[in-house]
Amino acid sequence: MNGVSVKKADIAVLPQDNAGSEEKRLGFWLTLPAQCLVLFIAVFPILMQLYISMTDWSPLDGIPWYRAYELWIGFINYTDLASDSRFWAAMWRTFLVMIVCVPIQFLLGLGLAVLFVDEFPGKRWFYSTLLIPMMVVPAVAGYMFFLLFQSGGPVNDLLSLFSASPVKIAWLSDPSLALVAVMAADIWQWTPLMFLILLAGMISVPQDQQMAAVLLGASWGRRFFTIVLPRMKTIIIIALAIRTIEIFKIFDTLYIMTGGGPGVATETISVYIYKVTQQDLIWGYVAAIALAILIVLSVISAIAISKMSKGANAR
Amino acid sequence: MTQIALSNLGKKFGSFTALAQMNLTIGDGEFVALLGPSGCGKSTTMNMIAGMVDPTEGDIRFDDRSILDVPMSRRGVGFVFQNYAIFTHMSVRENLAYGLRAQGVSASERNRRVNAMADLLQLSPMLDRRAAGLSVNILQRLAIGRSAVVEPAIFLLDEPLSNVDAAFRSVMRSELKALQRQFSQTLVYVTHDQLEAMTMADRIAVMDHGKLLQVGTPLEIYNNPQDVFVARFIGSPGMNILEGTIASSDEGKLVDLASTGRSAPLALSDRAASQGLPEKVLFGFRPEQVNPDPNGTMALPVNFVERIGARTILHLGGDGIEAKAVLDNQIAMPSIGDILRFSIDPKMVRLFDPVSGIAIGGDI
Amino acid sequence: MASIRLENICKHYGDVVALDDVSIEVEDNAFFCLFGPPLSGKSTILKIILGLETPDSGSVFIDDRPMNGVSPAQRNVAMVFQNLALFPHMTALQNVRFPLVERKIAEDVIAARVDAVTKKLHMQHILHKPPSQLSGGERQRVAIARALVRDPVAYLMDDPISALDARLREETRVELRRIQREMNQTVIYVTHDQEEAMSVSDQMAIFEHGRVRQVGAPHDLYDAPASTYVAEMLGAPAINLMAAGGTALNAGRPVPQQAVQLGVRPEHLRVLKDGGNTQVSAIEPMGATTILTLKAGAETMKAALHGQPEFQVGESVSLSVDPAQIHFFDKNGDTLVAV
Repeated sequence: MNGVSVKKADIAVLPQDNAGSEEKRLGFWLTLPAQCLVLFIAVFPILMQLYISMTDWSPLDGIPWYRAYELWIGFINYTDLASDSRFWAAMWRTFLVMIVCVPIQFLLGLGLAVLFVDEFPGKRWFYSTLLIPMMVVPAVAGYMFFLLFQSGGPVNDLLSLFSASPVKIAWLSDPSLALVAVMAADIWQWTPLMFLILLAGMISVPQDQQMAAVLLGASWGRRFFTIVLPRMKTIIIIALAIRTIEIFKIFDTLYIMTGGGPGVATETISVYIYKVTQQDLIWGYVAAIALAILIVLSVISAIAISKMSKGANAR
Repeated sequence: MTQIALSNLGKKFGSFTALAQMNLTIGDGEFVALLGPSGCGKSTTMNMIAGMVDPTEGDIRFDDRSILDVPMSRRGVGFVFQNYAIFTHMSVRENLAYGLRAQGVSASERNRRVNAMADLLQLSPMLDRRAAGLSVNILQRLAIGRSAVVEPAIFLLDEPLSNVDAAFRSVMRSELKALQRQFSQTLVYVTHDQLEAMTMADRIAVMDHGKLLQVGTPLEIYNNPQDVFVARFIGSPGMNILEGTIASSDEGKLVDLASTGRSAPLALSDRAASQGLPEKVLFGFRPEQVNPDPNGTMALPVNFVERIGARTILHLGGDGIEAKAVLDNQIAMPSIGDILRFSIDPKMVRLFDPVSGIAIGGDI
Repeated sequence: MASIRLENICKHYGDVVALDDVSIEVEDNAFFCLFGPPLSGKSTILKIILGLETPDSGSVFIDDRPMNGVSPAQRNVAMVFQNLALFPHMTALQNVRFPLVERKIAEDVIAARVDAVTKKLHMQHILHKPPSQLSGGERQRVAIARALVRDPVAYLMDDPISALDARLREETRVELRRIQREMNQTVIYVTHDQEEAMSVSDQMAIFEHGRVRQVGAPHDLYDAPASTYVAEMLGAPAINLMAAGGTALNAGRPVPQQAVQLGVRPEHLRVLKDGGNTQVSAIEPMGATTILTLKAGAETMKAALHGQPEFQVGESVSLSVDPAQIHFFDKNGDTLVAV
C-alpha cells in the first residue's frame, strides 16, 4: 500500500537475461573461472567419494587418500553392499521412521496451521511455545527423551495414572519399542518446523479467493480442500521433501537415546554409517554406502522438484 | 431480484468510525454506485452487505428480511473482487461450476447451467483452459459469470476496473453495463472514479468520511449537488467553488467575489429567497459553464492551459483563488498570463453555506 | 538540461522485435510523451536512454554527444518509477536528501539544494513525515523532489501517476507539467492514458509494435492523425470509423477515390431531431456532455454533445458534419490528404 513493494516495473529496468547475445557470451567467459570454482567445490567431495568407493582404502593403511588406487577393487564394495543384510535392515528402519514420522508431522503441522491461521486470544504465546522443540539442540533432546522413556520415567508414570496397575515398560531396551520412542522424539522435535512452513504457506493463500469461495456457498471443508490445499501444493511438497531427506540424517537424538540398540533395533542408516566409519574403519565401503544414499536422496529431490515446477506452472 | 435496504447502518473499528447513519434503499434491478475517495466508507458498506464485516449499528434487509444473522455463504450475494479472485489453479469450467458444486446441484443440471453461462458470456471456446494467464476482460467476464451462475439475489462489485489500463477502461465499462442489462440484477458498484459512476449507474450514492452525502441519478447529482464536497467530486474537472459575500444591486442580490469581480444578479429560487441568504457564501459554478465574454463581470488570470483532444481546460486564479474553465477548441484560446474575462449564466450558479457546506435553498 | 536524440534504434530480443528503426528527437526542456499499448516498445526506449540496454543498431545522443559506451551513471539521467520506490524507513526529507548524501556533497550545498527544490514543490510541511503517513499525491512529490535535487540532464518517468485515484491524477499531471516548466527540465514520459498524454506533453510519439507511427504536438496528432491507428489512439470516445460510400453520413464533399474508410470525431457529429435514418440506441448523460450511441444500418457511431440535450432511446435522428472535419483513410489505414 505504501509503494515500497518491488513490482515488475522495477525489475524490468534492470538488464536481465534478455541482454544481447554478444553480451551474453562475454558474460559467460568472464564468469567462467568463478563457475568452475563453484562446480569444483560442489562436486569434489562427491568425486572423491566415488574414487574411494572403488578401493579398499582405510586411513590405517598408511598411504594417503590420493594413492588409494593402489588398493583398487572396482565394484566389489557395491556388490558387498547389495548383499549386506545389516545395511538393508538399517535402510528399512530408516524407511519405517519416514513413513510413520513424516505423515504424522505433516498432519499435526497442518492441523496446528489451521488453528493458527485465525486470530485467537493468547496466540502469540502459544505460537512461541510451540516452536521451542525446534530450537532445542538435538543432542539435548536425545537426553531429554532418554530420561522420559526410562522404565521409571515420566512416560511410564503417566501411563500408570490411566491404568489399574503400575506400568513398567522398558521402552529403550525392548527391541520392538525402542524405535517407537525414537519416533516420538523426532515427531516432538520436528512437527514445529512442519507447522511453521505450512503456516507460512497457508497465510499466503489469497484471502479474496477464500472469500470468493465462501460467498459462492462453499462450506469450510470445501474451501479448505478446493482452494487452500491446492494453492499450498508447492509449499507442501517442499515441507515433505525437507522432512523426508532429514529422516535419513537422524543421528544425534537417536544415538544418545539408544546408541542404535538394543542390538541393532534402532540402527538407522546414519547410525550404521557412523559405526562402520568409527568402529570398523573400512572407508572405501563407507564411501560406497554414502553414494548409494546420495542417489536415493537425489531421486527424492528430483521427484519433489518436478512436482513443484508443475505446481508453479499452475499459478 | 431483491431490494436492499440499509437503515441507520454504522460501523466502528475501535474508536474510528468507518460508517455512520447510512440509510439507503436500493431498488430491485437497480444499478447503484457507491462513490467516494478512499476511506469514505464505501467498501465497508459493501463488505457489510456481503457479510464479510458485521455492522456495529443498524440493519440490512433484503426484501424486508433482516439478513444480519445469515452467514455470508447463504446470503446469495454475488461478489466481484477488485482483482476478480479467479481460482487460477482451476479451469474456466471449474471456476464457473464452483458455486453450483458447493450448493450440491446435480451434475447434469450443473453442466447445463455452466454451458449456458459460458455461451452468454462468450467463454465457451476457453472452457477447458486453465484460468491463469487470461486477459483482464475475460477475467472480468469469468468473475461475473462465476457469481451469476448461482443466480444471486444481488451483485456487489468492488472497484473492478481499478487495475485495468486506462486505455482499456472504457471498453470494460461498456461491457460491464451490457452485462448488467443482460442479467437485470440489483447491482451495487463501489468506485472512486466519478466517470465510472456517471456512465454506468442508475443512481449514485456519494460518500465522504463515513457519511452518505447525497443519493440521486447522475444528472441530479451533477446539476444539483447538495453538498460542496459532492459539487467538487462530481465532474471532470469538478465544480469551481469561490468564496464570496452577498451584495445588493439595482437588479437584485449578487455575489461579490472580491478580486475576481462580481457575479451577475442571482436567479434565486423562491425557497432560497424566502430562506434568506447568509452574508458569506460559497459561489459554485461548473468549469464548462464559464462563458468567455469581453463584457463579463468576472475576471481571472490564466495560469495554465491544458488541451485534451476536443476540449481545453484553463486553469485560472492565483493568490489562493483557484478555478477552472472548460472550453471548446473552436474558440480563440487565451494563453498563460492573459486575463480571462467571463460570465456565468445565473441559472447555473450554485450557492453553498461556507460553514456547513450544504447547498443553499436547494435548486436555485 | 539537455536535448536527447535517438537515431535509427533497432532492438531485438531473440526473434521478438522490440524496437524497429526508431528515431526521436526530444528538444531541450521539452515534455515528451511516449504513448502506445503495453509492450509496444516504450519501456525499452527508456532503458536504452538510461544505458541499461544497448541497442542492436542506432545511437543515442545527449546534447549531440553520442552515448555509445557511456555508463548509466555518467549519463546522469534520472528515472522516476511507477511505484515511486521511496525508502519507507526514512522521512520525506531523508528521502529527498538521499541522492546528495550518497554523493558525499558538502552539507551546506545539500541543505541549499533541498531547500530550493522543496520550496518549489510546496512540500515543506510534509518533510518530517515518513512515506507511510503521506497521501498518494504527496508521495509523488517526494519522489519527484528526490529526482530533482540530483540536477540530472533529463528525467525519464515510467507511468508515474497511474496508481493514484482518478481525481488526484488529474491534479498531479498539471502539477508535474508546472514543475517541468518552472524548473526548465527535459522530461520523457511514458503513459497508457491518452488524456494524460495529451494534457502534459509538448510532443508525443505514438508507438505500435516497436515502431513510431507518428510524432508531433498532441493537438496536431488529434486534429490531423496520419492513420486510423493514431486516430483511434487519441480521443474518448474514440473516433467513429465507417466504410466510405456508406449512407450513414453525407460527407458533403467529394470522397477521394482511394478512400476506404472515413472518420469523424464524436464531438463533430451534429444530431438533428428530424426523424432520419439513424436510431439512438443508448444515451449516456455525463453532465457536461451527453454521449449518444447511434445506429445507421450496419454502422454504429458515437456522438458527444454539449450539455444535457433531450433524446429518447429508439428516437430517429439524422446526422450532419462539417465536411472539413471528415478524415479519409486508404486501404492501409493511412490518411489521404484531401484534394
